[in-house]
Amino acid sequence: MDNSLWVKMHGGTTHFPIALVMASALFDLAGLVVPENAGKSRRAGFRAAGFYTLILGALGSLGAVLSGLVIGRWQLWGRGTLAHHHMFLWPAFGLLTGLAVWRLVVGNHASNRSFRIYLGIALITAAFMGAAGYWGGELLLKG
Amino acid sequence: MSIEIKGLLLGIIVSLGLLGVTFGLTPICQSKKATVANEEQQANAASVSSTHVLEGEAKRGYSLFDHSCAPCHGDDARGDEGPSLYDLAKSDARITTIIKGGVKGEMPSFAKKFSDADVQALIAYLRTLKN
Repeated sequence: MDNSLWVKMHGGTTHFPIALVMASALFDLAGLVVPENAGKSRRAGFRAAGFYTLILGALGSLGAVLSGLVIGRWQLWGRGTLAHHHMFLWPAFGLLTGLAVWRLVVGNHASNRSFRIYLGIALITAAFMGAAGYWGGELLLKG
Repeated sequence: MSIEIKGLLLGIIVSLGLLGVTFGLTPICQSKKATVANEEQQANAASVSSTHVLEGEAKRGYSLFDHSCAPCHGDDARGDEGPSLYDLAKSDARITTIIKGGVKGEMPSFAKKFSDADVQALIAYLRTLKN
C-alpha cells in the first residue's frame, strides 16, 4: 500500500481516540459531579456517554497504532521527537485498553470509590493521549 | 472475588497482552525491512565508500541529521521514505530553502528547529555524502 495512504490514515485515525478519550473522561466526570437531585437518568446518561466514547476510542486506537507503526517503519521508540511521541503513546495505549476492558467487565456495577479511581486513571490517560498527540504534531510540523 | 477485581485483572491481562503482541511482532516486521535494506546496501557496496571521517561542522551536521532527518532519509542517508541525499546537485542556498521551507506534502519545515548555523552544519555533512 502507498505509504502516503498510511500517513493520511494515521492523521485521520489518531484524532478520534484522543478526542473520544477526553470526552469520555469529561462525561464521566460530569456524571459524578451532577447533583443527586438532577435525577438518576441524567447521571446514567453521562455514564453511558462516557462508556461508549471510551469503547470507540479504544477501538479507534488500534487503527491509529497500526498506521503509526507502518509510517514509523515499525520503530517502537525511535529518536528525538518520535521518542517523545512514543514515551506518552505506549502508556496511553496500555491504559486505554485496560480501562476499556474494565468498563466492559464491570458495566454499571462499579462502586463509587472504584469509579473515582477509574476516573482518575482515565484523566491521566487522556493527558497522556493529549501529550502523545502534541508530540505527533511536532513530528509532523517540525520533524 | 468481586466483579471490579475481575475487571481489573482482565484489564491488566488484555492491556499487557496487546502491548506484548505489538512489541513482539514489531521486531519481526522490522527485521524483514532490515533484510531488504541490507540486500540493497550490499548491492551498492561496490560503489560506496562506507566510512566517513567527519570533523567539525560536518560532525555536528551528522548529529543533527541523525536526530531529525534519518527517520525519513535513512540512517545512512541513502533514502527511505525520503530520497537519498548522496551526490546532491543542489546549491547551498537551495538546500537551505528546502530545509527551512520544507516540501509541501512531503517534508516538514525545519525553520523553527534549525538555526542558520545548524543548517550550515547540515549542509557541511551533506557535502561529505559522495558515492
